[in-house]
Amino acid sequence: MSNTTFFLVVQAVNILLAPLLLVGIIRKVKALMQNRVGAPVLQPFYDLAKLLRKSQTVSKNASWVFTWAPIVGLAVGLIAAVLVPWAGALLPADWAVATNFLLVIYLMALAKFFSMLAAIDTGSAFGGLGASREATISMLVEPTLIIGLGALALGTGSTDLLTIYSAPINPFIAVLVGAALVAAALAELSRMPVDDPTTHLELTMVHEAMILEYSGRSLAIIEYAVALRTCVFFGLAAQTLLHVWPGYQDMAMLSRYLVSLGTLAVFGIAVAVVEGVLVKLRWRSVPNFLAFAAVLSLLAALVAAAQI
Amino acid sequence: MNLSQTDLFAAGAAVVAVWMCGLTRVKTQLWGLVLQAALLSSICARLAMAEHYNHLLVLASAMFVIKAVAIPIFLGRSAASMGITSDRGANVHPTVTLIIGCGLLVIGYFLTPHFEVPAMLNPGSAGMSVALLFIGMLLMITRRLAISQVIGFLTMESGISLYSLTQTRGMPLLLEMIIVFEVLIGVLIAGLVIFRINRSFEHIDVTHMRGLHD
Repeated sequence: MSNTTFFLVVQAVNILLAPLLLVGIIRKVKALMQNRVGAPVLQPFYDLAKLLRKSQTVSKNASWVFTWAPIVGLAVGLIAAVLVPWAGALLPADWAVATNFLLVIYLMALAKFFSMLAAIDTGSAFGGLGASREATISMLVEPTLIIGLGALALGTGSTDLLTIYSAPINPFIAVLVGAALVAAALAELSRMPVDDPTTHLELTMVHEAMILEYSGRSLAIIEYAVALRTCVFFGLAAQTLLHVWPGYQDMAMLSRYLVSLGTLAVFGIAVAVVEGVLVKLRWRSVPNFLAFAAVLSLLAALVAAAQI
Repeated sequence: MNLSQTDLFAAGAAVVAVWMCGLTRVKTQLWGLVLQAALLSSICARLAMAEHYNHLLVLASAMFVIKAVAIPIFLGRSAASMGITSDRGANVHPTVTLIIGCGLLVIGYFLTPHFEVPAMLNPGSAGMSVALLFIGMLLMITRRLAISQVIGFLTMESGISLYSLTQTRGMPLLLEMIIVFEVLIGVLIAGLVIFRINRSFEHIDVTHMRGLHD
């Protein structure tokens, strides 16, 4: 089996199974942290199947943006999931041009833009509130992502994620960027210290407020796209941190892939434990939290700049 | 520039100091001090292992016991007894301090090649210790409470001891031990003074101590 076929098969299985499995693991561990039995790990699959069978309610004031935003989100999520080496399986080298990290990050921003538009579209108060908060968070997260990945790019002299992750990375830079990416991912994916994904309390909702108007098939698409984004972002952070371990570079594709999926599962467990232990930050102290992440990637960028 | 493992530990201590710049809670800052001291004493222990200097092992354990355990516990207890939990910073917000601290770390890093030390043992560590010194001063300048200034002073002291550890290897054990104990005594005295200030002024906010009292 050639490398390309192997990659395509693996990545297709990944994209179908891993995101919802990760969500299931996070929910299960979180339930265990709270002394509950919790839903089975496969529950997100059942939920998705059920939502897909249900009919959806669309406000008569909603425009085409409302119906198309989830689809844009899904499309962008799928493109990012194919291009980003989040599961350790690397694309064949001739794809390198497409995996530019600026392309990936700004495609993600496009999806976010559409989901914010859709949230405002129905004219509900919560949608506007959630969208404005989401815009603030993504504005604060963007420098961390760009500078952090830029630091990695400086080390290898290329902005392609494929080239970056197939070359060895200085462990000091890898630790700094990895930590920054974890913090940025927590904010970007609306997870615990920044936003509580299970909340339905009006004052604290960010992501939940944006998707409040969705139901049925569109909700299923949104949930799946969010799970996919979770995998991509945590996978990116995990890949960066895995490069601290010197043996990881020389592994065969299959063991690399298995180690990466294991790390992703560990990430899920860690996120659930963090969510069980930490309290949510006040909205006004979110910029302070993200400033730490930005400083980490800034330091990484300067170390990288000093070493060329 | 190639970084040795000692340099990485020193850089870790400096990054912890930058992290401390952005904190407002005194208790978390004390955890930062614990981390710094632990990193420093592990550098000391690594030197002892590498060069077979047994006296450095004694120093490493003394540093750990005093700077990573005794002093933070003492400061934490005195903060708790005065009912202090957080320091919101004077004039400059801690988040801005964080970014300035990052800048100071960079200055330290880029200063490194300019040190004219005859036997440059760990070139990366020299810059990191200068950065620690700067960041300690920054912490002392930008904080409001007297206890945070003690924390800033301890960060500065970490910078000095890091420099002496990594750049000069000939310091006699007695001298090093005296310095470690002197820091302990200094912190104890500072703690007592802060306690007295708190009792007579009912706060330890240094920004309110500019004017004279009757």
